[in-house]
Amino acid sequence: MASDTHALATVEHSPVGSLAHDTRGGISNPVLGMLLFITSEVMFFAGLFAAYFNVRAAAPQWPPVNPETGEAFHLAILPLVGPATVILILSSFTCQMAVWAIRRDDRVGFIRAIAVTFTIGVVFLLMQAADYILLAEEGITLSAGTFGTTYFTLTGFHGAHVFGGAIMLGVVLYRGMAGQFSARHHDAVEAASLYWHFVDVVWILLFSLLYLLPGK
Amino acid sequence: MASSPRTGRSSTAIFAVGIGAVLLIGAAAVVLLSGGDPLGMSQRIVDSLYPPEAVTEQGARIRELYTIVFLIAVVIFFVVEGLIIWTVLRYRRRPGDDTLPAQTHGNNIAEVVWTVVPTLIVAFLFVVSWQTLNTVEAVSANPETRIRAVAGQFQWTFDYLDETGDNVLYTQLLPTGEDGGMAVPAGRTVLLSLESPDVIHAFYVPQFLFKRDVVPGRINTFEFTVNAKDAGQTFSGQCAELCGAGHRVMLFDVHALAPAEFDSWLAARIEEANATPPPTPSAEPGASGEPAPSGDTGQGPTLQVSALNIAFEQSELGAPADTPFKIEFENKDASVPHNVEIKDAGGASVFKGEIFNGVETRTYDVPALPAGTYTFTCTVHPNMTGTLTVN
Amino acid sequence: MATTALHPAAPTYRSTLYDWVTTTDHKKIGIMYVINSFLFFFLGGLLALGVRVELAQPGLQIVTDQTYNEVFTMHATFMIFLFVIPMLAGFGNYIVPLQIGAPDMAFPRINALSLWMLPLAGTLLILSFFTGGSAAAGWTSYSPLAQDRPLGAVGPGQDLWIVALTLIGTSSILGAVNFLATIFKMRAPGMTLFRMPIMVWTVLVTSVLVLMATPVITSALIMLFIDRNYGGSFFDPANGGDPILYQNVFWFYSHPAVYVMILPAMGMISEILPVFSRKPLFGYKAFVFATAGIGALGFSVWAHHMFTTGAVYLPFFSLMTFLIAVPTGVKMFNWIFTMWRGQLTFSTPLLYAVGFLSMFLIGGINGAFSASVPVDFAIHDTYWVVAHIHYVLFGGSVFGIMAGLFYWFPKMTGRMMNETLGKVQFVLMFIGFNLTFFPMHELGLAGMPRRIADYSSTAGWNDLNLAATVGGFLIAFSMLPLLWNIFISLRSGTPAGDDPWEANTLEWATSSPPPPYNFDRLPEIRSERPLFDARHGQQADH
Repeated sequence: MASDTHALATVEHSPVGSLAHDTRGGISNPVLGMLLFITSEVMFFAGLFAAYFNVRAAAPQWPPVNPETGEAFHLAILPLVGPATVILILSSFTCQMAVWAIRRDDRVGFIRAIAVTFTIGVVFLLMQAADYILLAEEGITLSAGTFGTTYFTLTGFHGAHVFGGAIMLGVVLYRGMAGQFSARHHDAVEAASLYWHFVDVVWILLFSLLYLLPGK
Repeated sequence: MASSPRTGRSSTAIFAVGIGAVLLIGAAAVVLLSGGDPLGMSQRIVDSLYPPEAVTEQGARIRELYTIVFLIAVVIFFVVEGLIIWTVLRYRRRPGDDTLPAQTHGNNIAEVVWTVVPTLIVAFLFVVSWQTLNTVEAVSANPETRIRAVAGQFQWTFDYLDETGDNVLYTQLLPTGEDGGMAVPAGRTVLLSLESPDVIHAFYVPQFLFKRDVVPGRINTFEFTVNAKDAGQTFSGQCAELCGAGHRVMLFDVHALAPAEFDSWLAARIEEANATPPPTPSAEPGASGEPAPSGDTGQGPTLQVSALNIAFEQSELGAPADTPFKIEFENKDASVPHNVEIKDAGGASVFKGEIFNGVETRTYDVPALPAGTYTFTCTVHPNMTGTLTVN
Repeated sequence: MATTALHPAAPTYRSTLYDWVTTTDHKKIGIMYVINSFLFFFLGGLLALGVRVELAQPGLQIVTDQTYNEVFTMHATFMIFLFVIPMLAGFGNYIVPLQIGAPDMAFPRINALSLWMLPLAGTLLILSFFTGGSAAAGWTSYSPLAQDRPLGAVGPGQDLWIVALTLIGTSSILGAVNFLATIFKMRAPGMTLFRMPIMVWTVLVTSVLVLMATPVITSALIMLFIDRNYGGSFFDPANGGDPILYQNVFWFYSHPAVYVMILPAMGMISEILPVFSRKPLFGYKAFVFATAGIGALGFSVWAHHMFTTGAVYLPFFSLMTFLIAVPTGVKMFNWIFTMWRGQLTFSTPLLYAVGFLSMFLIGGINGAFSASVPVDFAIHDTYWVVAHIHYVLFGGSVFGIMAGLFYWFPKMTGRMMNETLGKVQFVLMFIGFNLTFFPMHELGLAGMPRRIADYSSTAGWNDLNLAATVGGFLIAFSMLPLLWNIFISLRSGTPAGDDPWEANTLEWATSSPPPPYNFDRLPEIRSERPLFDARHGQQADH
């Protein structure tokens, strides 16, 4: 192997170049990296979920009484959160369609599907923000006892992850439109879609726990 | 190119000198400190690695358990450390050791042995510990005395409760000293419950070989019985969970009294508490230490003193010499006991106001003091101080 | 022959400050991790000296109670989060790609990001001293003391602490992702998992711990931040919260964190002992399983820090804590039997490795006392625990780091360190360390609690505290030969060559320092000692 300094400097001729696309098979480095990162994110949410379960188990009544209204706190699924959940689940489908499209080199289909996914992500965030405003009007805020604290912390950090995912999708969309992806080279799309599915699964869990789980 | 490991004489020499120095110093220390009494010295060394003699039944069980753990620890220490030292001395590379030693990769039987044997040892330790734990944690059906210790920033107060545990018979506001501390009957079961209104503290008495956290929002309870033979002794205790700037001054005393003595002491305290009419709260909280114009009886001025966040809000006070005066003391710390005590330049207490919980204001009548510089302090929180100039 | 003969030779790879600041080369990043960690080691050490000066005699001499609380809080914070954990990550960063025959880490740019988050976080922590007071609720930062409340953690110092730790945690997590991807995907042909050096195994298990546990403390810190700044009620009993929740979430990370702080040091010892004994590591597979066992068990013991809270299922955590002594003991015996019937050469790396064995043993033994719940009732939150943590962290991690430094310095710089200075440092540090921390066993048993700025002059603790302070200054003094050694070795140390120690693993099969992409060619990999095999061929008993 040539040990010329110039040759070492370029990716194609350096020992490292061939490793960038991992010709040995199995999942690529970026996808493995994203899976590992998602594992850490799962543990982050696990900590928050643990806090939620702890607080809920210790409370004499759940949802607790809202001191402003004198009645138990109530989270409305309509008009915002329910539809937002539906479209977020839909966006996982469109995201996966984008992945399938680029795997078979359908670049146009890929760009369309990613654009739809990205848009749904943004809409979800807007609906979430609108819902926060409605809740605040009812006196449900971060400082509304353990109920408000856990609700806003959990959904807030989920929203932050949706925001991060939307940025990722935005970058993928931009790079896709610039023609940087093909059937052979699209690791970033695979990685971003994994993250997006993770964000969706967390939301399904959150929604079930916060909205569907019966109180006590 | 591979080079042979360095076996320079100078580095070995330095190493030998270093180890030799350590051993020499160690030996010299032992000889000097023992004062020619090596057996007594060994006893002292062992004592230094032991907790104090327990003064409670539960503590005695813990100390017995400690002995078991300690013996096993000592044996393991000498065996393994000895093995290390032996190996290191015996298998040094000598000049002439040019061929490699046998390249042993492992030994499965050895692995099994030093997995199974330690597992058995720790299983044994776990079981004896668990048995002792059950004894220590046991709470009897009818404890003879119930006390609630309230840990706050930065003091301990003790509520003596009736048999139901719901009513307070007497509250001790002073945590230390002859007039303060938690008096308990030796030889009787005492159920202690722990509460905190603010941050986490810990109730720790080294001679009990025991501590328990005091957690806000939670009531921890444990039972102890001071040995009958330890009646008449005082044990010191201290908060053992960092609770802020006053953590290290959260001291308390535990006075063990013979049962009859305890009963009469408690009865006297209850009678005193019931007999004293509660004083009427004073109407004018002040902000400065300036003497106010004297009131009705022609006595000296009324000094305004207040306490907030475990500190006096005034650092300098002034009073006229040889004239009785009043101190109007506003305790702004909710549920925290304070008072005003005055000490002369030599540290002797010349006045000690009644201790009371905030938020409340009470007026003290201070006797005439000769001219001089005094310190005023809080008996419960000795780190609260200020200067009183009498002239 | 396994060495490289790269042209141009190493001196022309000397690089500028700009190169260092913008590099994504794992070797430079590893070295910068080590340098940054040493800086915070010295800062944390200065704070420790502050503690020891105050405690040398009864009476408050140099600080107030509140300042003292800041000093020990920041001492531990710097030592744990900006010294031990990143120092070991730095050694891992340098060594792991070399030992697996890879040209760099899997994600070099993220590697650089992980590095630079650390001096940023450290700066925030230093600044916090000047914002009205740093965090002062202990490195454990229990709620409610850490809340923004009267007589509690009022002011931005605690918030800066939270932000800094979140940054450091993110840096760690990204590093763990990098290590795991590198180890799983970039090993050279022939290097199966069971032919990896133990150092790589320990970094692997450590990275799993970091990946799974660190996010949990991030969640605890965020919850504390919300309680402090947004009226949250996670840990406020008045509003349905629970201080014990904080402790559970906090220790769920902070216990595995101690294994993060020791496993890579154990990995380094496991490289050094075979080389200086001229024998292979005894029980390689046992080491792998013991390391994995410690990692797994490490997640099940966290509540042994909470035995006195009254809120913990005691028997389970006590049993698991006792059990974790077993894989640790397996390692201890395997290390000893690596040396047994070997031919030991007492260079400084071996001195520190043996120092590690003998001191970590004490730390493990005194930890077993705490595993016994009733005994823990007596010794928890006393100086016994301070003795334990320093025997494992200083006698263990720091000695391991020193061993690693002396062992790999020649590879990193191309120069040997001075042996005489190394031995002088070792003797001073060893004596100073034991003089500082052994008396603390007695202090704890006698009843001296932790985290107090002063103690009663009649308690009988004066002499032991004074001895500990003398020891502390000895440790500080031992840093002088270290610094001098590094300085003169960099300037005029003996050239090291590729393999000055007659070592076993791949990093010694390339120049010192290695070229940018590490290897020109690799020797055949047929065992965990590829270089040994290449050197001895069929001669050695294999």
